[in-house]
This record gives sequence, C-alpha cells and structure tokens, in this order.
Amino acid sequence: MHSTRSTIFFVLVMTTVVALVLAFLFNGLKGTHERNEIVYNKKAILSAIENELGESISDMSDDRAEEIFSTKIKQTVVTVAGDEVEESYIENRYKGGKAENIDLKKEKKLDEDEKILPVFEFNTDSGEKYYIASVRGSGLWDDIWGYIALEDDLNTIAGVAFGHKGETPGLGAEIKDNEDWKSQFKGKKLYDENGDWKSVYVRKGGAKNPIHEVDGISGATITADGVTEMLDRGLKYYESYFKTLQG
Amino acid sequence: MGELANIFIKSAFIENLALAYFLGMCSYLAVSKTVKTAFGLGLAVIFVLGITMPINWIISEYLLSENGIFGMDLTFLRLILFISVIASMVQLVEMVVEKFSPSLYNSLGIFLPLITVNCAILGGSLFMVSKEYNFSESVAFGLGGGFGWFLAIIAIAAIREKIQYSAVPGPLRGLGMAFLLTGLMGMAFMSLMGIDPGAFNG
Amino acid sequence: MSQLKELEKKEASFAFGKKERKLLTDPLNDNNPITVQVLGICSALAVTTLLDKAIVMSIAVVFVCAFSNLIISVLRRSIPKSVRMIVQLVAIAFLVTVVELVLKAVNYPIYVELSVFIGLIITNCIIMGRLEAFAMANGPWKSFLDGIGNGIGYGIILIIVAAIRELFGKGSLLGYQVLGDWYTPNGLMVLFPSAMFVIGILIWIHRSWNRSLIDVS
Repeated sequence: MHSTRSTIFFVLVMTTVVALVLAFLFNGLKGTHERNEIVYNKKAILSAIENELGESISDMSDDRAEEIFSTKIKQTVVTVAGDEVEESYIENRYKGGKAENIDLKKEKKLDEDEKILPVFEFNTDSGEKYYIASVRGSGLWDDIWGYIALEDDLNTIAGVAFGHKGETPGLGAEIKDNEDWKSQFKGKKLYDENGDWKSVYVRKGGAKNPIHEVDGISGATITADGVTEMLDRGLKYYESYFKTLQG
Repeated sequence: MGELANIFIKSAFIENLALAYFLGMCSYLAVSKTVKTAFGLGLAVIFVLGITMPINWIISEYLLSENGIFGMDLTFLRLILFISVIASMVQLVEMVVEKFSPSLYNSLGIFLPLITVNCAILGGSLFMVSKEYNFSESVAFGLGGGFGWFLAIIAIAAIREKIQYSAVPGPLRGLGMAFLLTGLMGMAFMSLMGIDPGAFNG
Repeated sequence: MSQLKELEKKEASFAFGKKERKLLTDPLNDNNPITVQVLGICSALAVTTLLDKAIVMSIAVVFVCAFSNLIISVLRRSIPKSVRMIVQLVAIAFLVTVVELVLKAVNYPIYVELSVFIGLIITNCIIMGRLEAFAMANGPWKSFLDGIGNGIGYGIILIIVAAIRELFGKGSLLGYQVLGDWYTPNGLMVLFPSAMFVIGILIWIHRSWNRSLIDVS
C-alpha cells in the first residue's frame, strides 16, 4: 500500500521529469520548427508561379525554395493607400521585417488604413516580371487564403495557389487540390476593356464570361463564393499600389 | 448572442463531432445497443464537454501562452494538462452520478470512466484551440458539440434496437452493421453542410 | 534439472520465443485492434484520406504504444494505485507530445495536415487498453513487443483503408498517379463516411474468413 506522502513524491518526480524532457526537446527543436514554417509559407507563395518557374514545388527541396526566394524574388510591403512601408516599421509588428513575415490573419482584423500588404515581385531569367499578391477570406468552416500571381500588366492572372484551414476534402478543399480548377484562372483579367474593376467570379454551374469568370466546384458553393469575395476585396486593396507601378 | 447561437448550432448539427468528424467512436459503438444507456452516456458527455472546454481554454490562454502568467511559450505542455483536466472532471462526474443515480452508475459501468479517453472530449478542446475561439465561444462550442454527440448516439441506439430483429448476414451482424449505419448517418448529416446558421437569425 | 525443464527454461529466456512471436502476430488477425476489439477508430477516419498520412500515423501509434507499454511496465510496481490512471495518461501524453515535436521538425507539411489528430492518439483506446490489460502485469520486453504488435495490427488496417480511399478517391497512391485519365475519381471515397463503409466491409470480410469471430448477439 502506498502512503499519501510517497504518492505525492511519485507524482512530483514524474511531473518534473516529463516537464524537463519536453522543455528540452521543445527548445532544441524550436529553430527547426520556425524555419520549417517559413519555408512552408515560401513554397505556398511559389506555387502561384509554379508554371513560370518550371519546377515542381512539391518535389522542391527547402534549400532550393530559399534560394529562389533570395535570388529571384523582391519583397515589398505596401499600404492600401499605395505607399511602401519601411522595414523598421514592419519589424515592429512582425519579426523578420519582410513581406514573408506578415500574418494576413492579423491584418484581416485591422481597418484599411492600418493594413499592410505583402507584394512578391518575381523576376525570371528571361526578364519577365510577375507580381504575387496575398489575399485572405472565409470558407465554409474556417479561413481560406490565396496567392495570386499577376503578369506585369497587373491585370492578367498568371497563376493561383489557395490554402484553407479546415475545408472538407473533396469539396471545399478542392480549391487547393484540384489543379484543373486552378488552371482556369490563368489568363483571366481583373479589369475590363474600359478599365473598370471586375475581379474574377466563381460561377456555380459554369462560367459564362470567359474573361472574368471560372467554373464553380460541385458541392462547395459556399467555399467558392468565399473565393470570389476574397479576390474581389483582397486584390482591390492592392489597386493604389499597382497604379503607382503603372503610372 | 447570435454569434454564440451560431456556434452552438454549427457544432451540434453541421460539424457534429460524432457524425461529421467521427470522434468518440469507441464508446459510441459500444454503448449504443440500447437507448437507455445511450441517453445516460450522452448526458454525461454534454456535461464533461461543457465543463472541460472553459477550463482548458483558461489554461491555454493564461498559463501556456506567451501572454500568460509565466510569460513563456509553454504550449508543449498542452496535451498533458488537457488530458489531466479531463481525467479529473470525469472522476468528479463519476462521484456525482454514483451519489445521485446508483442505477445509472451501474448500467454505465466502465463506460463512465472511459469518457476520459473519448476522442470527442479531447478533440473538442483541441479544435477549440485550433479555431482560436474566445471564452464564451468555447462554452457554446462545448455545449453544442456535446449536444450533437448526444443526439447522434441516441439516434444510432434507436436504429440498432430495431435492427436486432432483422436478418443481417452473420459476418456483418453487430459490429460491421454498426459501421455501415454510422457511415450512412454521416452522409445524411453531410446534407446539412452549407447551411448558414446566420440565415436563421435574420 | 531434467531435460524438459531445461528446454522450458531456454524457451522462456529466448527473447523471440513462441510466446513473444505470438505477441506480435496475434493482433494481426485474431485480436486485431480495429476489426475485432473495435478500438481507436476515431483518428482512423480523418487520417485515412491519403496513404502517406496513414503511414505516418501508424508509425506514431506503434512508437507510442510500444514505449508507453515499456515505461508503464517498468514502473508497474511503483505506481500508487490512487493515481494509476493519471500516470498512464501522462505517460501517453508525454510520448505523443514528443511525436508531435519531432514530426513538426522532420516533416512539417504532414504535421500541418494531421494537426489535431496527432494529439488524439492519446485517446486512442488501444494504447490505454494495452497498458491496462498487459503492461501492468507483464515484464518490460514482453510489454514492448505487445505494444509493437498492437501498433502494427492497427497500422495495417489504417494503411489498407487509406490505400483504398486514395486509390479510388483520387486515382493515386502516395501522391503518384496510378490510375490513368480514364478513371473518374469517386468523390465519395474522399469524404469521411466512406471510411466507415470500408471498415464495415473489411470487418465483414475478416469475419467471413475467420468464422470464429461472428457476433452471436
């Protein structure tokens, strides 16, 4: 039979050993965890221009992703008003001070005049330029987000990549997994011939306008509507900045 | 208030812990042979979920996060603390049930302490962390999730009671049938997806 | 010592004697954790949408089951009765946290996909079940083997279900396209309820093959 004292002793020893081992492991691996998360995000951004890169993102090594990012991608951070933001200002809000460190989830909660937006400018070896914008919205269950790559006319979509927190596999999750559906976005334009803002509409039942619409996803109407809303609102935030680039 | 009602409805019907995520299956399949035991277990689950969620939320926010009283990121202790809280709460519930309804205590037998390892309970707390709910949202989520689980287990118990008298092929009888039934119920619940609870609040 | 006793003694001390092998093979058939004992199904379902997720999950479960069995077996005579359950739970939670931290460092994308379900290994009834039924009453090496056996028995079912769901749901296995363009993926396979159907049918097959398991209720 065990006395109360030996029971307490046993519990204390066990708790201490467990806590110490885990603390040790956690601190030891923290650096790796953070780097993994950064590379994961970088690969997500690169998947918007997977075709233009000519390399497969899923097979890509972490080092290669970092290399592409540091040599071919220029990072800028802007406000909705169109002004560039200093690295020191970003550093205050996000450790690292670069576009890649911005957490759009936090930005979503801020008002337009307080938001900062990341812009990733991709320069290919043959001298082409692409601009990747970051957007975030709501799906059926939880948040969804996207990286939209635009050609240097800042009007035509070159590629897209979407992610989600908890959409249903086979339904809402198709925005991430279904390559055929995503490839529809290539070539769509954000502005019509008159220069008016149209964005891209995900139409249930099939696209009607070949320039500004894509087909919906069966069984995932709410997620699809979330994508439409996210593009319309999220890309519009970049309008002022894009005008400064064109003007 | 409307937002909380939303979360309650969502976790009870649309994101039903048993039929959409298939959590808590062990007890679900084992205790659903009669409606009576299913009812008792379901109530216990609602109670445990409703209590452990807020407690785990407080632990996560105030003890383990960097903004908490220790000022350090202690999230690696989360699993251990959550499961300890759940185990303690279940023991509490056990004592209460034994005192107030000895007959229920006896008919539930080992399944009462087994609530501790019911994936739905720990799963609920982990989902709450991943969805970053605030305090009142966690309570709504806990009660709603429990209620949904309760409905699911009563429903399948009712069906299984009836099916006992049907001619099911030998190797499929009992367990195999329960799996297929649960799968069908899961599909039925999927039809509820896409309902925006907000629509009912006008 | 007589010849017979000497033989028995040899058998008992040989690490991979008949009894030990049985610990590894039993859970694969007669005592399969999922199809017979019906344990640990919860995480099984969300995790079997893709084969690589199922494989990682199986490895994690084998690890946690084997080592928690080992730890509890070593401590079995020292654990005070009043805190038995909590000690078991903490041991399991400890190992699962280790798995989580290591996975996050070694394969971040799969860690993100499995998310909540790694933590749910704690509530996997198989692990608790083996601790109570075996590790509390047997030596460390045997308990370790029992843990591996049950972990593998569980893992095999997981892998079979995942292989079926990924193959028919997406036409691929481990991400590699196996079925050509002629195959229209069966969307149902990707949704959760299909896991229930597949397991139900597996049980049907298992019991038809091993008639001794038919439920006479």
